Amino acid sequence: MPKIKPRVPIGKQSPMERITNFDSVLYGYTEDQAVEEASRCIQCKKPKCEPACPVTIGIKEMNLLIAQRKFKEAYLLVKEDNAFPACSGRVCPQEKQCEGACILEKFGQPVAIGRLEAFIADWGRTHEVEIDEIKANNEDKHIAIVGSGPAGLACAAECRKYGYAVTIYETLHKPGGVLIYGIPEFRLPKAIVEKEIEHLKEMGVKIELNHTVGQNIYYYELVSQNDAVFLAMGAGAPKFMGIPGENPMDNVYSSNEFLIRANLMKAYRFPEWDTPINCGNKVAVIGAGNVAMDAARTARRLGADEVHIIYRRTRELAPARKEELQHALEEGIIFHERVAPVRFHGDDDGFIDYMELVRMELVEDEDGNISPEPIEGSTFYMECDTVIEALGTVPNRLFLDRAPDIKRDERGVIIVDENYMTSVEGTFAGGDASSGAATVIKAMGEGKKAARAIHAYISMHDTSHRQKVQKVEV
Amino acid sequence: MPFAITKMIDLDSMDYLVDVEAPEIVERFHPGQFVMLMTRKEGERIPMSVMKAENGKLTMFIRKLGKTSKELRDGITHFENVIGPLGHGIKEKAYGNVVVVSDAVCGQAENYAICEALSKIEGNTITSIQTFPSEKEIYPEEYLAKALADQHIITTEDGSFGEAGNYITVLQKMIDRGEKIDFVFGGGKLPTIKAVSTVLAKNNIDNLFTTRQMMVDGSGMCGACRLYIDGKMKLVCVDGPMFDSRKVDWDKAIKRYNMFKKKEKEANDYYEAHKGGSK
Ligand SMILES: Cc1cc2nc3c(=O)[nH]c(=O)nc-3n(C[C@H](O)[C@H](O)[C@H](O)COP(=O)(O)OP(=O)(O)OC[C@H]3O[C@@H](n4cnc5c(N)ncnc54)[C@H](O)[C@@H]3O)c2cc1C
Ligand code: SF4
Ligand code: FES
Repeated sequence: MPKIKPRVPIGKQSPMERITNFDSVLYGYTEDQAVEEASRCIQCKKPKCEPACPVTIGIKEMNLLIAQRKFKEAYLLVKEDNAFPACSGRVCPQEKQCEGACILEKFGQPVAIGRLEAFIADWGRTHEVEIDEIKANNEDKHIAIVGSGPAGLACAAECRKYGYAVTIYETLHKPGGVLIYGIPEFRLPKAIVEKEIEHLKEMGVKIELNHTVGQNIYYYELVSQNDAVFLAMGAGAPKFMGIPGENPMDNVYSSNEFLIRANLMKAYRFPEWDTPINCGNKVAVIGAGNVAMDAARTARRLGADEVHIIYRRTRELAPARKEELQHALEEGIIFHERVAPVRFHGDDDGFIDYMELVRMELVEDEDGNISPEPIEGSTFYMECDTVIEALGTVPNRLFLDRAPDIKRDERGVIIVDENYMTSVEGTFAGGDASSGAATVIKAMGEGKKAARAIHAYISMHDTSHRQKVQKVEV
Repeated sequence: MPFAITKMIDLDSMDYLVDVEAPEIVERFHPGQFVMLMTRKEGERIPMSVMKAENGKLTMFIRKLGKTSKELRDGITHFENVIGPLGHGIKEKAYGNVVVVSDAVCGQAENYAICEALSKIEGNTITSIQTFPSEKEIYPEEYLAKALADQHIITTEDGSFGEAGNYITVLQKMIDRGEKIDFVFGGGKLPTIKAVSTVLAKNNIDNLFTTRQMMVDGSGMCGACRLYIDGKMKLVCVDGPMFDSRKVDWDKAIKRYNMFKKKEKEANDYYEAHKGGSK
C-alpha cells in the first residue's frame, strides 16, 4: 500500500472569528481543491462507500468525474440519486456512512466525500445547470404531501418528475422543515435551502404555507381530494425532562424553541427582526446530539460567555456528527460527561438560577446494553441563567389526534409497510414521521422511494373512489 | 400573500380595532379560537384574539402598547401573514345561565364572540361583564357585547363608570345573591383570572378562561406556550387556548408571560428610533 496523502484541508472561519457571526463555518472546496481531494480516491473495484450511502449515490464515479474536472457530469450523476446534495453534503453523518466505510479510512483519512458532494452541488447551482426532469403528464392525478422537510421535498420532486399535480401543505410560514427552522445558518446557509425549494416550485410543485393539517385543514379532506397522500410531518414536538422545578421555569427552553427563535425567526438579528430570545451568559445545554451542538453553538454566537454541554454518557458516545462536536469544542464549549440534572432552582421572578445535578456511571446489563445510572451521594450544583433541553423530539400529536385511522406505535411513530403505505390505503408516510427522529438523508431517501411506490400505486389502482376515513375536526 | 387591512379604528381607548381580509380563515373559524399574525416579513408570530369572523374579514382589538400597534399607528396597510384558525373553539350548545367576563384585549374580543355564538342558541341566558380601567377606555357600544347579552354590565377599575372594581366584584355579588350560574367564560389579565379561579373553585362553577401565553409556532412544535394543568404539561396552542381556571398553575403562568418584558421594551425603543428608516 503506497503512503496515503492526507485530506485536502478545507477553508474555514477561525473559532474566534466565527463565534461573532452566523455565517457558514466552512468556505467549501475550490475547484482545484476538489480535484485534488477527488484524486485521492483509489477507484476501488468494489467500492465500500456506495452501499453505506442511504441513497446509494455513485460516489466512485462522482470522484472520478470531479478528478477529471467533468463537473457538470458529476453534478448530473449526483442529482440522479439525491435531489438536495447541497444539504446532505453538509449535514450527513458521513463518518457513520460513506466515509466511515471508505477503504482509505483504514490507512488514515477517508476521501472527504461529504465535502465533495457539497462542492459539486454548489457548482451545479451556481452554474445553473438545467435538468430536464418532468418525464410525463399526469396532472389529472393529485398528490398531497403533509410537511415540507427533506422527506416531503424529496417526495414532491420525484412525484413531479412522474408528472403528477403535487401540493405540499406546511404549517410554518416558510418551507424546508428542520433544514430551515432547526439547523443553523452557520452549518447550512438558508439561501442554499431556499434555492433548492425555488427550483421545486419552478418544476410546478405547489406549496401551501400556514396550512396545519389537523387544525385548519383536515386529513379527511386531503384524502377525499387527492389520489394519494404522503405524510412527512417529521417528529417535531419537544420532549422535556419532567424534573422538579421545571414546571415552566423562565429561560428554560426546548431546543426546538431556542432554534426556531434563532433560525426561523432570526432572533439573532433582534431588534431589527421582531422575535426576541433571552440568552444569558452561562448556558447549559442538556444532551449531546446534533440538536444539542446546534443549540450550544447558537448560544455562543448569541454572546454567551460560557456554554456547557451536560451529557449522561461519555463524549465518545455522543450521537452528534463528529465534525460538529469538534467545531463546538473549538468554539470553547465545555463538555461535561456522565452528569444529569435532577432539579431546577429559580429566582423570585421565575428565572432559572442554578441546577442540581448528579454524576452518572455507565452500567452494563446482562444483554450488554450500557445505560447510565446515578451515583448515590454525588449531587453537585451548577449556576446557569439559561437552560436548553435537547433531549430529542417526538411526533406531534396535533396531526395524529385528528387522523385516528392512521396506525402508529405507542410513541406516535406512524407504521408503514415495505412500500411506505400506512394502514390507510393510498396514504403513505416517510421521514421522521414514520421512523422517529433520524437523519436528513434517510428522510430524503424515504421520500423518494415512497414517491416511486405512490407512482406504482396510482398506476395500478383505480384511485377515483376515495378511501373512507373518519372526519375528526378540532 | 399579504393580508389587507380594510379597517382601522382608533377606539379612543387603549386599543385599536382592526379588520383584516382573510376569507380562508373566516370560513373555518369557531368562536374561542385564535390566529397569529406577522406584521412584516421580519415580524414576530403574535397570537391574537378574534372578535368577529364575518364576510371574509377578521375583526381584532390590538392593544396600543406593543410594537404592532405602533406600526398600525404609522399606517401599515397590510399584514404580511395571518395564520389560523388555531386552538379549539367553544362548544356551541345550551349551557343555561352563562356569565362571560373580560378585562383586557384578549378577553374583550372573546367576550363578544362567545356572546354572539351563544345568543343564537336556545337555552342560554347570558350575562356579559366587561371591565375597563376607567370611563375613558370603554369601547364604543357597537364593539361591546351589549346587544348580544341578556344582561350587560360594565365595570371600571377606578370606579369612574358603572360598577367599581373588576368583573370579580360583580360575579361575587351574583353569587352572594344566590343567582344560579351554570358556566363562566372569560379572558383577560392573568392575575385577575388567578383571583377569580379561587372564587369559582369555592363555588364549584364550571368555567373556561382564555389563557394568554407567549407562543412561537402555534402548532405544538416549540413548547413555549406550556402550562401546567393539575400538574400535567399542556400546550396553550394545541390544547387551549381555554382552560378550566381552577386547574392552572397561575403563579408560574404569570411569571412566564413576563419572560420577555425587557426585550419588548427594547423592540419598542428600537422601532421608535428607526421608524420609517429600516423598512
Ligand atoms: C436542530 C437539528 C439538527 C439536526 N442535525 C442533523 C444533521 O446534522 N444531520 C442529519 O442527518 N440530521 C439532522 N437532524 C435530523 C433531521 O433534520 C431530521 O431527521 C429530518 O429533517 C427529518 O425530515 P422530515 O422531512 O421527516 O421532517 P422535518 O424536517 O421535521 O419536516 C417536517 C415538516 O412538516 C411540518 N409539519 C408538521 N406537522 C404538520 C402538519 N400537521 N401539517 C402541515 N405541516 C406539518 C413541519 O413544520 C416541518 O416543516 C437534525 C434535527 C434537528 C432538529
Ligand atoms: S471506498 Fe473510498 S476509495 Fe474506494 S471508491 Fe469509495 S471513496 Fe473511493
Ligand atoms: S407555541 Fe409552540 S408549542 Fe405552542
